Formats: sequence, structure tokens, C-alpha cells
Amino acid sequence: MSEPETYEPKIVAFLCKWCSSAGSDLAGVSRIQYPANATPITVPCSGSISPLYILSAFNKGADGVLLSGCHIGDCHYIEGNYLARRKIYLIKELLEFVGVEPDRFRMSWVSAAEGAKYAQVVKDFVADLKPLGPQDKLKADRT
Amino acid sequence: MINVRDIRDAARDLLAKGEVRAVIGYRRGSRGMAAEPVVITAPEQADELVWDPTCFHNLALYLVEDRKFLAHSRKAPGAPIAIIAKGCDARAIVVLMQEHYFKREEVYIIGVSCEGVGVLDERKLAGHVPGTPTDAAFEGDDFVFTTPEGEKRLPAREVMADRCLECRAPFPKEHNVVFGEDKTGRELAAPFAALARFEEQGATERWDFWRRQFERCIRCFACRSVCPMCYCDECVVDSITFPVAPETTADEKANRIRWIERSAVRSENITYHMTRAMHLAGRCIDCGECERVCPVNIPLRLLNNKMEREARERFGYEPGASIGAASLVASFNDSDPGSFIR
Repeated sequence: MSEPETYEPKIVAFLCKWCSSAGSDLAGVSRIQYPANATPITVPCSGSISPLYILSAFNKGADGVLLSGCHIGDCHYIEGNYLARRKIYLIKELLEFVGVEPDRFRMSWVSAAEGAKYAQVVKDFVADLKPLGPQDKLKADRT
Repeated sequence: MINVRDIRDAARDLLAKGEVRAVIGYRRGSRGMAAEPVVITAPEQADELVWDPTCFHNLALYLVEDRKFLAHSRKAPGAPIAIIAKGCDARAIVVLMQEHYFKREEVYIIGVSCEGVGVLDERKLAGHVPGTPTDAAFEGDDFVFTTPEGEKRLPAREVMADRCLECRAPFPKEHNVVFGEDKTGRELAAPFAALARFEEQGATERWDFWRRQFERCIRCFACRSVCPMCYCDECVVDSITFPVAPETTADEKANRIRWIERSAVRSENITYHMTRAMHLAGRCIDCGECERVCPVNIPLRLLNNKMEREARERFGYEPGASIGAASLVASFNDSDPGSFIR
């Protein structure tokens, strides 16, 4: 168990290649300071994120999972984020249903021009995750 | 009231005329009164068929099995296959056709309406009937059990499966021929009642409940085996077809993606069951078979009902309603909820 003040939540961030991944790059090249807790994983589209990615991330020890894609109407594949919205709504409901804290899971729309927004999303997420402590509900015990 | 002779006559007739190559139905089993699934291929076998409160199995599963068997034996299907289908079974068949698992003309649906009742929940029977019943029969709104001590009549509502009490569509809408009255819209119990009760609890209580349930799962995969929707050749939890070539290194074998481990521990069990619930979202037609076959009585219907209710309330989606409809997760509306997204 880590002490509350030294505890740093691990975030797995699934970012779409066309918007959010570029948005996180912009945050970097603009030298915006934000917590380094998020491990970005670039996916082709937010619609390509399988609910299994999310469950598996929690299973492998993530304290929080962030999904991010293009704003509605801006999807590179026209409708990928519409499909994501529906799918992710269902998995979000299911996670809350079994009792996983709603704050462990977050979705945002971040465009390639919104580096500042991406930094803010991560900042807020880390701030919300810290009081929750480590995630041990879905995490596999591999000791 | 359905006369079982009508079902037998229909099956005999279809087989005699060669309109179908087989009929999937129920016959008297070897375990007390319970019926068991049977595939008959000759007209004279039609007399084996039964229709009673123990016909709980969702026979759509055997359409999937038949399909897989044909695929492996590389035979042309020839004549269609007939199936006896209750309201829920028929919805399952519709979902399979919606997913292009087979075509409408390849299946001959002999619909049977559950009318005002449904099937028995054997777990509710304890204490109601003396001894071991040898036979069960429909009789209006009652079930009549034959026991060593004589006949015992019980109101069906007392021993019916929960899913049947909550069922609003006991009539198979999709059918070639149908027996029994259309009682669509009947409501013996409020739908999703157990779910609503469960959701009144806080997150901590909900987690406590599921934690205890999933610690008991033994990963026998009975829920998966009995489900007509779990037809994938390789399940994501198995990962058995990892291609191993002579040049595959030990590292590659050790580090291949294993989404979920097969070990029966809580974290893996809950990941498995949540994955299954997601894969069944918009497809599960609430036949309740997974819950019935669970050897440790995990209330799996709660998970599936949750997804079903969200689909209905948020997306106006009814699983198994139409063959031509787009599936739940392959379609969208502009009005889909999005306020949870930042």
C-alpha cells in the first residue's frame, strides 16, 4: 500500500489517432505542464476501442481508464465516434452497476487543436483518482 | 391450451413430406420429469415429442450446433431444419438471422406460445411438491405434477421461472406455423423488478454483492455453452488458437495477448462475466438459460437485464424484434446520451 501523499494513479489513455493523439502531442509541444500519470495508447479511432480494452486495462492494474476521440461530427471515419459513444455508454453503465467507482472511467472529446483541453482532462482525472486510491476490484492478483 | 398431438402431427407431416431434414424439439428425458432436447429425423419419431412446463431449454442453441456441424462436414444443408420455439427462443433465432448466421428459409419455425404461463423453475419447486415428480403438465394457469403420492396442482406463478413471469412476449412472432394463443403484452410481474431492487443499493453494497458472487464462479463455462449467442469459434477467454510456428519463440508464446486468464479467481471471473455481458448487449433475449445452468447459482440475468434495459430505455432497442434491423452497437442516433463525455 502506498501512502496517500505518494500515491500516483496509473492511467491508461486510449487516444484516437486523428484528434486526441495529436491533441496530446500539441500539449507536449506547447510545453503545457500536466501530470505524467497517463500512459497513452494510440488507436485508429475511438470507435475501434473494444470494451475488452477497458476491462483488460483495469484487469492489468490501471487505476483509471481514459478514452478520447474526435468531437461528434469530426470523426475521420465519419461515424466512428457515434458508435463509440453508444458502446462506451454501455460499458460505463456496466462498470458502475458492478460497483466500480464512476470516477475511474472517463471519456472526452479532444480535437487536434485542443492541447490545453487534453492537459486539463488529465489534470482533472488525476485529481479525481487520487482520493480513490489504488484500484483493486478488477485488478488481477499476480503475486 | 396447446395439444401436444398438434405439434407431433406437424412434425410428422413435415418429415414425411421431406420439407425439413430434421425437427429439433423436446422429449421425455432420463432425469425425472424434465424434458430434454432431441433431434428427430424420421416421421415415426414424432410421437416422442413433448410439450410441458419442463421444456426450458432454448433450442436455438441446436440450430447453431447444426450450423457448425454442417460447416465442419462441408455438407450442403439441403432441406431446412425445423425447430420448436417458444417466444424467447424465436427471438433468439431472429437475432441469429439478423447476424446472418443463417437465412430465414433455412429454418422452419414451429412456434409454441407459452400463453399465460411459462416454464418451470426447478429450484422453486422444493417444498411445494412431495417426493420426486415424474411428470409435469400445463393446465390453464396451473401446472399439474404427477408424483408417487398422486397428482399435485400448483398455480404456475408460484413455481414459474422469474424470466417467464417478467416476459411480455410469450408468443413467437417469427414463425412458419404456430400453436397457442397470442398473449403478447401480458404482464405477470413487472419487468426488470429484480434489477430495480438491486439498483436501489449503493455502489459499495453492489460491489460487495458481485464480489461474493464472482468469488464463487468455478469457470465451468456452462453459461457460455448453453447460450445460443455465444457461437464464436474461439472465445476471447480461451486464446487456444495462438498460431505456433517453428520459429515462434518462447518469449512470443509467453507474451501473447491474454485478455483474460482462465484461472477461476475473482478478478478474472468478473472480467469474463462483464465481457460476456457486453458481448450480449442488444443480443441477449433473456431466455435465462445461463442462470438456470449455473451450478453455483450466480444471478447472471441481472447483468444481462441491465444491458437490455439500458438498450431499451436509452436507445429504444429491442433485441430479437426484427431480422432486418441494425444491431445495437452497429447503429446510432443523434440523440444517444453523450453528457457523460467531457
